[in-house]
Amino acid sequence: MAEEGVRAETPTVRKLSRLERLPIRRIVLTVLTVAIAVVVGGGIYKTLTLPEAERLGWTFWANLMVIGLALGAVYALIALGYTLVYGILRMINFAHGEVFMAGAFGSYFFATAYADSGFLNAHPWAALGILFLVGMTVSTAIAVLLERVAYRPLRNAPRLVPLITAIGASLFLQNSFQGFFGSQTRGYPRPSILDGTIQIGQVSFDKIDPVVIITAIVVMAGLQFFVKRTKTGKAMRAVAQDREIASLMGIDVDRVVVTTFVLGGMLAGIAGVLYALTFGQVGATMGFLPGIAAFTAAVLGGIGSIPGAAIGGLTLGVAESVGPYLLLIGIDVPSPYELRGVITFSILVLVLIFRPGGILGTGEAEKV
Amino acid sequence: MDRSIARTAVFTGAIAGIVVIYLALVGMIERLDDLPIIGRVGMDTILIFLPAAVGGWVVTRPRVVGGERRTTTPGAAAVTGMAEGLVAGVVVELALGLVSVLGIETVRQVFSAVSPALIEIMRFHMAPVPAAVVMIAGTTFVGLAGGVLRVLPKEVRAPIASGLFAIVVVALLQRVIAPAFDQMNIERDWLYSPVTTGLTWIGGAVVFVLTAAAVRFHLGRWLAGILMPSRYPSAAPATAPSDAEGTNREASSEDRRTSLDAGISRRGIAIVAWCVIALIVAFLPYLVGPVVSRILGTVGIFLLLGLGLNIVVGFAGLLDLGYVAFFAVGAYFTAILTGGQRVTFTGYEAPAFGFHLSFYAALPIVIAIAALVGVIIGAPVLRLRGDYLAIVTLGFGEIARVIFGSTWAQSLFGGSLGMSGITAAKVPGVPMNFQADPRHFYFLVLVFCLLAVFVSWRLQGSRVGRAWNAMREDEQVADAMGISTTRFKLLAFAMGGAIGAVGGALFAVSLGSLTIASFQILVSITALAVIILGGLGSIPGVVVGALVLIGLPGLLTQFVDYRLLIYGAVLIAIMLLRPQGLVPNVRVSRELKEDERSQDQWAKHLLEQDATDAPEPTGGALT
Repeated sequence: MAEEGVRAETPTVRKLSRLERLPIRRIVLTVLTVAIAVVVGGGIYKTLTLPEAERLGWTFWANLMVIGLALGAVYALIALGYTLVYGILRMINFAHGEVFMAGAFGSYFFATAYADSGFLNAHPWAALGILFLVGMTVSTAIAVLLERVAYRPLRNAPRLVPLITAIGASLFLQNSFQGFFGSQTRGYPRPSILDGTIQIGQVSFDKIDPVVIITAIVVMAGLQFFVKRTKTGKAMRAVAQDREIASLMGIDVDRVVVTTFVLGGMLAGIAGVLYALTFGQVGATMGFLPGIAAFTAAVLGGIGSIPGAAIGGLTLGVAESVGPYLLLIGIDVPSPYELRGVITFSILVLVLIFRPGGILGTGEAEKV
Repeated sequence: MDRSIARTAVFTGAIAGIVVIYLALVGMIERLDDLPIIGRVGMDTILIFLPAAVGGWVVTRPRVVGGERRTTTPGAAAVTGMAEGLVAGVVVELALGLVSVLGIETVRQVFSAVSPALIEIMRFHMAPVPAAVVMIAGTTFVGLAGGVLRVLPKEVRAPIASGLFAIVVVALLQRVIAPAFDQMNIERDWLYSPVTTGLTWIGGAVVFVLTAAAVRFHLGRWLAGILMPSRYPSAAPATAPSDAEGTNREASSEDRRTSLDAGISRRGIAIVAWCVIALIVAFLPYLVGPVVSRILGTVGIFLLLGLGLNIVVGFAGLLDLGYVAFFAVGAYFTAILTGGQRVTFTGYEAPAFGFHLSFYAALPIVIAIAALVGVIIGAPVLRLRGDYLAIVTLGFGEIARVIFGSTWAQSLFGGSLGMSGITAAKVPGVPMNFQADPRHFYFLVLVFCLLAVFVSWRLQGSRVGRAWNAMREDEQVADAMGISTTRFKLLAFAMGGAIGAVGGALFAVSLGSLTIASFQILVSITALAVIILGGLGSIPGVVVGALVLIGLPGLLTQFVDYRLLIYGAVLIAIMLLRPQGLVPNVRVSRELKEDERSQDQWAKHLLEQDATDAPEPTGGALT
């Protein structure tokens, strides 16, 4: 402080300022690092060296891996929405989890109608195609509306302002859906060809899991092609690099932003349908946790990077499904699955503290 | 009426109609059917017609055409407003027609709010065709009214709008005002109808006239000037002639102020006014009864949370979405320290680590723990920018919630079943029982709220407060000016956390038991909505925000289901329309106004010169 020089004469002040010079940040970070290393290292070691009778077999872990990859694929699709918007507008679209929820909920009414009429089992692929279309349409509509009403008027406002409207929009959408459709969760029908399990060697997993993973990979490849090879994709990358210069080059920034929200909405809609098919239920509050998890995935992979979102999503999915057992069973923590939220959030916090650029990023996120 | 205005009118009308359909589908219109406002007019009717009126107001706004500001002429305003209202009514009727074609049962399978009762309300309990006529005529009329209101001079417009608003507010506050009248032995049947519990038409008229008069003579502004005299000398009053639009509002109010001041000492009025407020606050629980007192207790808890969060977000500019962590720390550690028992399936058990301190002995420890948690949470995130910081703190909040509610920490905090048997805060010699008489709790909360207000108020202008201010405006510049940003950020987290923990401690003793369900992320967002509504960094704003956002839904059970919906809408609407909040921070708003005024002066100066010798404008213009 400027005035400190004058008052530093008195011994009490000198003592205080010595205390202030304590590198609090470094101390806390060091303690945090050591604690995490102990928990992770110790937990894994203990879990893997449990006595023979209690030890979990490799089929168990393989099964968890597949479940994790399927979950991660859904996260990756949602994460792409965060990443695209962040790349273009440098803002966190906090309400993206609700866009995802809207897609799942929108397709639910068609899914139940088709299940009742028998169409879902008679022509499962056609029915699924329609469900995806409906989910994409609803999610896209919500995403575009969100951009128009809540974000566009604030595009040049201080950074926190659109974030606060995004939080408000998230709350508003979630509770609107609760008001429209009731607060109970509803069962989502699954076509019978996707029911049951597949056995490969000793590992068995649900049929739906590989379907989810493959769909997600195809969609992400399509997105990568769109962004890298088409003219609109080029315009998006230009706007992401410098909005002003892009607009001087004749790119309609508003159109690019809307396109971005459309893309994010479509991906979220697909993710919503996949998620609903996997877990067999939809509800107005289903968007919050996957939304945060997907944001974590986007940050983990390097926000602004499309392959990063994919890698981050898959990593996080696996970490969330395998992590609680691998880390916590060995150290006798009861019901470890309860604590998977802690793993997600810890990853988020740790990535932001130690490597804010994410796995594929370098320092500050700069690219799409 | 040119083409673009017509298009705007149709578009706005359609939006107004869609808003009404939204309100119906979300269930609000049916739910608010039993909330009478005036006579037989219920809140549901107001919700049906308000969007069209607002639409009429919006479409007649002054527009900028080719860099020139054009106000709408009265004739155009009337026609545009009517057109807008007509479209709104037609859209709503189309939706109603669609429902009757499809059948209520079919629509109900998707939208659970659609019911025969809702259709009855939307048709004003009439046959479809006359109902449609009434609906469309009504929306057209309110659209017209909205448009006409815009072109009225401000001296007429503001009193009318405020008077109508006051009718709704007084009607909504029936559960507070009616018992207060009873306690003071004032006849109240003229104001609130004993049949409908809404206002009577006479009562409504009285409320309207009183409010309109108060607004016309700038009573509120005058009172605010008396109660909170600015520490800064007021700028030279602008002397421009009043031209009825916006910019000279301040000037006329200041003229008003000086004329009212004549003869009476301002200081004297201020003292009397503050004494009256203090008396009302002190006797409020006895005026309004135990039920409302319980609500006021909750308002107090959120006031504390708001004040704490205001230090972090409003003063220091660090958006903390995990504020619920401090609330939980305060509540759970109070529980442990004051002899709370964990609830198990078989009964109660002592926590693995527990004490039997009195509330007042435990509180300093709880505050110290919360401040420490603030530093621990704050330290790793010191280098994160605004939006990242928000997400990370959100993560911390969730981590805290999961840990407090986990089976793993069950031996300490009771897991998902929570804790019970928390000792109430007893003052020796005073019989207190929070559960039996919420009025006692009101006073306890009041003491801590006053304390927190005092701390915030003193911090605001202190060296620390100014350092936070500088940091909020520009961190790098603040750093360059020699402000240790590390130290002040941690201090903000610690101070904010400590106040939030006091809120949590009071919450714990008010209920005597805790479950993890009370510590959702929504607590953080509610506290955020409270401070955003009032205005970031504004202490009176936090009070207003807590009263409106916590008090009103508490009073009006009809609104409880839509509380979060309304919080979401408030966050969006405030950021879009009035980012400085309802009761803005004096310093910030004064700076803004100063700026505005000097610009006006500059513009006026230019105009005057323009009239005389037309010189070159200096700077700013394109040459």
